[in-house]
Amino acid sequence: MLSRRIAATAVSFAAFIGLWWAISALEIVNPVFFPAPPLVFSAALEMLEGGVLFSDLQVSLGRAAVGFVAGVVLGLLTGLLTSRIAFFNLMLNPLLSLCRPIPAIALVPVAIVWFGIGETSKYFVIGYSVFLTVWLNTHHGMSMVAETYVRASRSLGASRSREFVEVIIPAASPYIMAGVRSAAAVAFLCLVAAELTGASGGIGYRLQESRQYIRVDRMFVSLIELGLLGALLDAIFVAIGRRVIHWEQM
Amino acid sequence: MDVATVVDIGRVEVARATVEFKGVQGKTVTALAPTELELTPGSFTALVGPSGCGKSTLLNLIAGFLEPTEGAVRLDGKEITGPVPDVGIVFQQYALFPWFSALGNVEFALKRLSLGKPERQARALAALAEVGLAGRERQYPGQLSGGMKQRVALARIFAAAPKVLLMDEPFGALDAITRASMHRLLLDIWTRHRTTVLFVTHDIDEALLLADRVHVMSRGPGRIVETLDVTDPRPRTVETRSPQVSAARAQILELLLSSDH
Ligand SMILES: Nc1ncnc2c1ncn2[C@@H]1O[C@H](COP(=O)(O)OP(=O)(O)OP(=O)(O)O)[C@@H](O)[C@H]1O
Ligand SMILES: [Mg+2]
Repeated sequence: MLSRRIAATAVSFAAFIGLWWAISALEIVNPVFFPAPPLVFSAALEMLEGGVLFSDLQVSLGRAAVGFVAGVVLGLLTGLLTSRIAFFNLMLNPLLSLCRPIPAIALVPVAIVWFGIGETSKYFVIGYSVFLTVWLNTHHGMSMVAETYVRASRSLGASRSREFVEVIIPAASPYIMAGVRSAAAVAFLCLVAAELTGASGGIGYRLQESRQYIRVDRMFVSLIELGLLGALLDAIFVAIGRRVIHWEQM
Repeated sequence: MDVATVVDIGRVEVARATVEFKGVQGKTVTALAPTELELTPGSFTALVGPSGCGKSTLLNLIAGFLEPTEGAVRLDGKEITGPVPDVGIVFQQYALFPWFSALGNVEFALKRLSLGKPERQARALAALAEVGLAGRERQYPGQLSGGMKQRVALARIFAAAPKVLLMDEPFGALDAITRASMHRLLLDIWTRHRTTVLFVTHDIDEALLLADRVHVMSRGPGRIVETLDVTDPRPRTVETRSPQVSAARAQILELLLSSDH
């Protein structure tokens, strides 16, 4: 089963690279604009030897991590408040619902004015989107707890605090975990927007830099780097979810 | 069966209780018309009736999940105003906590008693052994069959030592064989604990196999229209029932058919 999936993935990648190669070999477009796989590969080697491949990775991961953690903590706390206390729900829910359609990239100018071009503006842009994602899922999950669980808990004599810790939180945790997982993806999506606030390193910055030199081969390397990193992080969060929410998959 | 007289806790009185729900467009729906019901300590009462006649409403009322619009519900003379551990309930949809193992679920019911952890675990293990789940304590509800889940639910509820046990179609989702073995198990445990039981079902035979007394409910609005006593000795089977019970079955069926339109 697993080996079949690995084989299928390999075939899919091979087919994709083959197609890419074939199209670029036809030279319908200038190879500068649509470089063949070997060109991209040598650009990757060049970036690896120059050290930017890993320094970009480190810088971007660091930014995503700080924004992610801050957003998750705030999102969880706000979700707890709005789902459990009617007052906070009335005050915050409409406001946050209005914020949700605002894309991270639209905040870039605001972030630059507020926080300058330092790291804070990047954390803000990433943290904002992560926060909204985690808030929504936490709020939803905690409000959706099945009535029977609460009834069972109460008629078994659980105090409100025990009900919260042993019933509400576990019952909501699949939603919360799903929120954290999509927030990790969101943090990555916003990274490139965040690095538009002016940076001297990071994968998003490198994309901008490559654009100035019209180095599409280097852009491809950065894009592939983003894709691989995002997929890896997602796999990690899925694995964590499986362990924490072990009862859901049974 | 006069064991009931030695136990004198677990008396439930439903005194002219009415339950109304706010329906759509502010219209009120009367789910339960003024109802009188008494459950004597240690008795086993069944409640049968067509779907939507208010059986669950009456149960949820006694469980303290609903407030009567009028009238009152009392347990041993004290009014019930909310869920209390003295009134236990077993739901059709199990309501086990899937994030706790079988053991964890039973321990959940014991946590309000300030026992030490070893004592609590020992009691939970004993309760699971009583329902025939020894060796399965560490499994999670998702790993158990429907019958086993309902066994855990029974262990959990009896571990909480309620005075009254309400059961809302607890075996409705089980196959015939599993259901028969659950009947045997329930009567076994009930004989030992002598909890007052109110058992909701829409299966007439199930009601007649288990209960001392059967209340028949009817729709529009929900109310008790007939009460029949079952005096056959236990264990009972469908084949060996007395002519009185056969007559009772025919009468209940007639009532349910005539109220089903
Ligand atoms: N929360 C509610 N709000 C409005 N109406 C309700 C509510 N709960 C129940 N009712 C109505 O009250 C009536 C009785 O419902 P109840 O669930 O007690 O029936 P039941 O006898 O348990 O049915 P079933 O055999 O299908 O479980 C039904 O008409 C139902 O639509
Ligand atoms: Mg019902």
